[in-house]
Amino acid sequence: MTIRLGRREFLMGSSALAAAAALGVSPAWAQNALRLIFWGGQARADRTYAVTDAYAAAGNPGVEGEFLSWNDYWPKLATQTAGGTAPDVIQMDYRFIVEYATRNAIAPLDDIIGDLGEFDADQLEGGKVDGKLYGISLGANSVAMLANVTAFEAIGEAVPDNSWTYADIERLGEAFKAAGNGMAAMSDGSGSEPFLDNWLRQRGKALYTAEGKLGFDAADATEWFAMWNGFREKGYIVSAEDNALDTGAPETSMVALKKAALLPSNSNQLVIHQSVNDDTLTITSYPRIEAGVGGGHYRKPSMFFSVGGTAAEKQAAADFIRYFVTDPEAGKILGVERGIPCNASVREAITPTLDEQSQIALNFVSNLGDLLGPLPPSPPAAAGEIDTSLLRVLSQEVGFGGRSAEDAGQFFVDEATAILNRAAS
Amino acid sequence: MAVNAAEAAPQNAAFSTTKWSRAWQNHAPGYLFLLPWLIGFIGLTVGPMITSLYLSFTDFDLLTPAQWIGTANYERMFTNDRNFAAAMRVTFTFVLFSVPLKLAFALAIAMLLNRGMKGLPLYRALFYLPSLLGASVAIAILWRQIFAGDGLVNQFLSIFGIVGPSWISNPNYSLWTLIILSIWQFGSPMIIFLAGLRQIPQDMYEAASLDGAGKWRQFWKITLPLLTPVVFFNAIIQTINAFQSFTPAFIISNGTGSPINSTLFYALYLYNEAFSFFRMGYASALAWFLLFLIACFTAFSFLTSKYWVHYDD
Repeated sequence: MTIRLGRREFLMGSSALAAAAALGVSPAWAQNALRLIFWGGQARADRTYAVTDAYAAAGNPGVEGEFLSWNDYWPKLATQTAGGTAPDVIQMDYRFIVEYATRNAIAPLDDIIGDLGEFDADQLEGGKVDGKLYGISLGANSVAMLANVTAFEAIGEAVPDNSWTYADIERLGEAFKAAGNGMAAMSDGSGSEPFLDNWLRQRGKALYTAEGKLGFDAADATEWFAMWNGFREKGYIVSAEDNALDTGAPETSMVALKKAALLPSNSNQLVIHQSVNDDTLTITSYPRIEAGVGGGHYRKPSMFFSVGGTAAEKQAAADFIRYFVTDPEAGKILGVERGIPCNASVREAITPTLDEQSQIALNFVSNLGDLLGPLPPSPPAAAGEIDTSLLRVLSQEVGFGGRSAEDAGQFFVDEATAILNRAAS
Repeated sequence: MAVNAAEAAPQNAAFSTTKWSRAWQNHAPGYLFLLPWLIGFIGLTVGPMITSLYLSFTDFDLLTPAQWIGTANYERMFTNDRNFAAAMRVTFTFVLFSVPLKLAFALAIAMLLNRGMKGLPLYRALFYLPSLLGASVAIAILWRQIFAGDGLVNQFLSIFGIVGPSWISNPNYSLWTLIILSIWQFGSPMIIFLAGLRQIPQDMYEAASLDGAGKWRQFWKITLPLLTPVVFFNAIIQTINAFQSFTPAFIISNGTGSPINSTLFYALYLYNEAFSFFRMGYASALAWFLLFLIACFTAFSFLTSKYWVHYDD
């Protein structure tokens, strides 16, 4: 085959291509639309886009949304921020808000956010850094124990209520073992950072102090690992080998794989877990260290909306956020998918419209009672690394028998302190 | 396909006397056609590489400007990083076992296919298929299913009364499931071996069998020596790929290198440092050290090649 491409044909072809490219890619923000970025799944995106459509339909600026998974989200946001092209409205997490705020990557909202109505004070407080408001909470949630109701019914045990204790893990562990259907009472929680945090808070300690130091000592950590060793040896929880199958996706959880009846999770995740399970699920509290001891739970701002530090239209972005959290119709579309709405009138308006799982989640977070403790200070920047590269790995080393609980407890504290010091220097 | 390129050459007579200009006239069309690639190469490869070299001497978290810290990143790698040591161990184990096994397997299949059987193109395509699929997300997920506690492998073993462990989530075996996955993707070295085998003159085998050499002896004395240039090529390509292996480990452990860092490949560790913990400076240093490692290995291979690679001429 021979193609003779003369200058004229070449020119015509390439100019046609250039023209097509120029016409085809007309960026949406060229029309002053706001750019929004958030993490989440398709269900969250559908709800979010329904709200942005309604917002635009009411004569407001259009909102161009983009969503990614949690793991992909932070590299993308950090890259865009570094390149000076961060979106106008940014979904922000409690873990990162201090980092972004202190570097002016998100803007203070005190003067532009306007009236948020009757808004939960603790949730507003959670969005503050150095006294200034940097994030508006999109909902409150709490850690919660996911429970397979069908499995409990099958062995004739009641699903634990909010008064249950660590001693009940042993009682239920024996009951599930006696049933002999290959399902343990609970997944292995020894590598779960929120679980450890909850346990420490009930003992009057914390994962991190307000100064960003470790809030517990080696003896605590050793006791934690030893307790889980006891559960594991007696077969009350799943084996280390089974637990390592869980990659964090709902489909690979020990409940979804029918290896455990209880799984540490969050109140707003009941909806997503139910969507991948045939059995009926519900949520209950994390166990108490002793009957009557509370204070382990707290109402965490599940996520925030913040305004990009370099956003050109900060006021317009703030207006959209205000609409997002205070408009009852928007609230009905969003439901409790991002957590329990913080605006009282929105909460009232949506309650009758919620499905069963959402009702359960709302009731759970609203009725924590004496389980509720104060909001902990936002964690230091290295907390994520301590969680993924230290706590999870150590819990597996102990689980597989490669390290004793004493050894792991001491190592955890030494290594975590080193990581915190390195990050601070 | 011939493109009439000469028309695009600049026709400037004023400079045609100088040597430089004559060279330009001769080569300009070539460079013109290379231009899109050159722009891409300089803008997307050379530029970022230089930037990354600079960043490897800095502390950079994307949000605050990079700060020059000299060789601290490189020092930390060797003195104060447990995970770096773990990643090196995992990666070297992977390279050491996956590459020779994969090449042996590819050569065996290639020799099987080289016997002029019917429907050869079909078989060739079938055997190549895993290489096309191997790096995909779907296969990594499938691998989890096959090697899980109640997966295909253990169901097969249970026929013989063996209760197998959960291969993929047991730190003693998890890396081996990834080595097997890599061996299974033997397609591209196989195709290259097949081409190499075709180059070996048939009369050599005829002469050898007249002299009474058996199949085994023929393989060691004729096939393998004449195939060494191809083995050499495949070994280098596969080793470089193995050092950079990322996708299967990332998908199978969801990016954590779990259980107990037993699948923490070098590239996965680098990725985590960069995009989970935002230590771009340190990650850049890791990337340059990986380049150095691969360069060392390749140089070593070339230096030793004269002792074991036999070229015809």
